[in-house]
Amino acid sequence: MISRRDMLKTGACAAAAVALPRPAGAQVAAFAPKPGAWRDFEVTARLELPANGKAQAWIPLPSMREDKWIKRGKSGWETNALSAEIVRDQKYGSELLHLVFKDGETAPRVEVRSGFSLRDRAEDLATKSVVPALGEADRKLYLEATELMPTDGIVRDTAEKAAAGKTSDLDRARAIYEWVVANTFRDAKTRGCGTGDVASMLRTGNLSGKCADLNALYVALVRSVGIPARDIYGIRVAPSKFGYKSLGTGSDVITKAQHCRAEIWLDGYGWVATDPADVRKVVLEEPPGNNTLDDPKVVAARQALFGAWEGNWLGYNAAHDLVLPGSNHKVGFLMYPQAEVAGALLDCLDPDTFKYMIKSTELTA
Amino acid sequence: MAAVKAPEFRGAHRLGCRLESFRRFLLAAVSLIVVSTSGAADEFRPWPTETAPELVLSQLDGPGIDLAALRGKPVIVHFFATWCAPCIEEMASLNALAAAGKGSPVILAVSVGEVDARVRNFFRDRPVAFPILLDRDRSAMRTWQVEGLPTSFVLDRDLRPALKTVEPLDWTSPSVAAALAALPSTPPKSNRGEKETPP
Repeated sequence: MISRRDMLKTGACAAAAVALPRPAGAQVAAFAPKPGAWRDFEVTARLELPANGKAQAWIPLPSMREDKWIKRGKSGWETNALSAEIVRDQKYGSELLHLVFKDGETAPRVEVRSGFSLRDRAEDLATKSVVPALGEADRKLYLEATELMPTDGIVRDTAEKAAAGKTSDLDRARAIYEWVVANTFRDAKTRGCGTGDVASMLRTGNLSGKCADLNALYVALVRSVGIPARDIYGIRVAPSKFGYKSLGTGSDVITKAQHCRAEIWLDGYGWVATDPADVRKVVLEEPPGNNTLDDPKVVAARQALFGAWEGNWLGYNAAHDLVLPGSNHKVGFLMYPQAEVAGALLDCLDPDTFKYMIKSTELTA
Repeated sequence: MAAVKAPEFRGAHRLGCRLESFRRFLLAAVSLIVVSTSGAADEFRPWPTETAPELVLSQLDGPGIDLAALRGKPVIVHFFATWCAPCIEEMASLNALAAAGKGSPVILAVSVGEVDARVRNFFRDRPVAFPILLDRDRSAMRTWQVEGLPTSFVLDRDLRPALKTVEPLDWTSPSVAAALAALPSTPPKSNRGEKETPP
């Protein structure tokens, strides 16, 4: 059993490991996303639901409105549903396609196609620029606690320790990023992208998981010290052009390629890209695997993923605690297709039973 | 044990001498165990509240369960999730406790915030001998002020709050067994004649 005390010990060891100098002659791998040409994509999600009763489905659509790195295109669908409508969540602005199938439909199905364009992003964190202030409503929204991301108690205590001695928001956010990278680890056995129950992670000392755990932890920690932050839920749509096998897709079938990334708001910089969870993914998965923190590929990813990310990932939305329209069911975040048959939610982490398939096509040459 | 003096005795006078005596007995027993043992039960602590919250939930593949109907045996209410690694290990030890026999408490395992299908798949591979309740919208977790998983509560046979732990436990350890054995074993007078209701 892992106790919180063990976790803190582990954290100390991990932090010590980080401080070790790199071996002489170690090469720094290239992972350097920079804003450049836009790439056009289309993602197709196909659902086929069991005919065991009245069915509804909800499919996330690209909803982020951030012209620096994503441009939304059109979404279209083919279905035998009784009704199909785009529903926009008032709080977060997330959009989904809500389908209701008629009672007795023998083969409920839908195919949704979403077009969008992406490009790399990177902030020059050495230089502040003139950036409009974050609106009060957004500041409040991206500082508040969610059901799974409290911002008080053990979360704030942990963040304050991680950022001790730092004064600027940039330095505090970076210190917390380094703390998350040093103290968490990716667990290949975690189903899907994880759950993101931040309080349970900190309290039990089990700081393992996947992106929805590790980046949610980062977002909650950063929010707890007064820096706006958000988790963006999405899906990888292309291989990494930097040669990182772990940070891109392996084929055009992306059914299990969901991934979330984190953003922090820094006055003078705007929304800044971060992704501590992907650093831990490189540690665990980048061939040959189980890499050390001073492996050049890890070092490069760790340096880049505070301030930059690659444009091979579609961000759907930054919503939390969504009640699915037309249903009593609530989801902590909307990254997977959801469906309800005879009043019971299907397991979105089990696409083969659900069932659904998602494909990505790059339209630009 | 300064920690055990504080809030749980505040307001106890309002409930009269009988309840205060009971609480003092319970607290003394638990304190003795905490002092005299090491290991998992170090994390067992008194549950400083006067009455347990309600708990009425759907059961996975069974009829709904109301905690209030279980008066007559000690009850463990265990909040967990299938994604929670410490919970998986703890579930096995809870099942071992359930299998231990007649004197075992009633165990209610409350799945928090997960879809039925996922919970069903989880227990298909790891069947347990107690009911799985479904807190689909986390409302029970909020009502019981559960801040993280796993969290377990122990109620005495009159459903009075007794113990709480926010750490995963080995429920088969001698120290936990001692803490459970220290719960009052005599049915309160007011409940004589009530039938035990098995889970």
